[in-house]
Amino acid sequence: MGVLENKARARLFYKYLSKVYDQVNPFIWNEEMRDEALELLDIQQDDRVLDIGCGTGFGTEGLLQYSDDVHGLDQSIHQMEKAWEKFGKNDQVRFYRGDAERLPFRDDSFDVVWSSGSIEYWPNPVDALEEIRRVVKPGNKVLIVGPDYPKSGLFQKMADAIMLFYDEEEADRMFEAAGFVDIEHHIQQRQPGSPRAITTVARAPEE
Amino acid sequence: MKESLMDIICCPMDKHDLDLEIDSQDDEEVLEGTLVCSECGERYPIEDGIPNLLPPDMRD
Repeated sequence: MGVLENKARARLFYKYLSKVYDQVNPFIWNEEMRDEALELLDIQQDDRVLDIGCGTGFGTEGLLQYSDDVHGLDQSIHQMEKAWEKFGKNDQVRFYRGDAERLPFRDDSFDVVWSSGSIEYWPNPVDALEEIRRVVKPGNKVLIVGPDYPKSGLFQKMADAIMLFYDEEEADRMFEAAGFVDIEHHIQQRQPGSPRAITTVARAPEE
Repeated sequence: MKESLMDIICCPMDKHDLDLEIDSQDDEEVLEGTLVCSECGERYPIEDGIPNLLPPDMRD
């Protein structure tokens, strides 16, 4: 159990992180990797798309290149304020404050669900993944980007101390437990030596 | 928050329908108001157009 597996602490951490987030984040997850991940989905212009843990809106910005109906949810107002500066508060994106593990959406509400850089802060990722499966339409895809568990060195020490990291086996276990099918993983890395991202695409079973 | 979003949102706790109480609005955009769960009665504020659908134990 890492330090951030406590939601109040996660919120406090984010309050400070949001000040520097868009500067720090590109070292791990950049535009090129995001666009590569977006191509793994087949998003249509009228698809209703949910971005969970939209934060400062980096993933949201990519989703807007594909769809006109993008919805962003985040627990932290401090992170979302950055997104509002980019997209307006009630303009291009529908924003909500909410919890990934207890989504405020009806069953089968979305054509696509995306989440990048958020799963590592979910105290119970399988609970959140179950909620994601519930709100995406049967047979449709979700894409989750998280940090790949570092094999050694400083990053591994950080991983153990701060956040939830996982490898492909662990990702399989979590997505299967949440009821997904056709689970595939793509390891993405900005350059050799930089922390790796694990991008999982999975499908909600047909009814 | 657009009123049309009532079709997709629900109570995060028990997933029941929400009722919308509007305090102020600008065309179809609800700026201030409250979303009330039709089952458990929990109230979720809409603040400057943003629905706060955090479960009560996670509110600031």
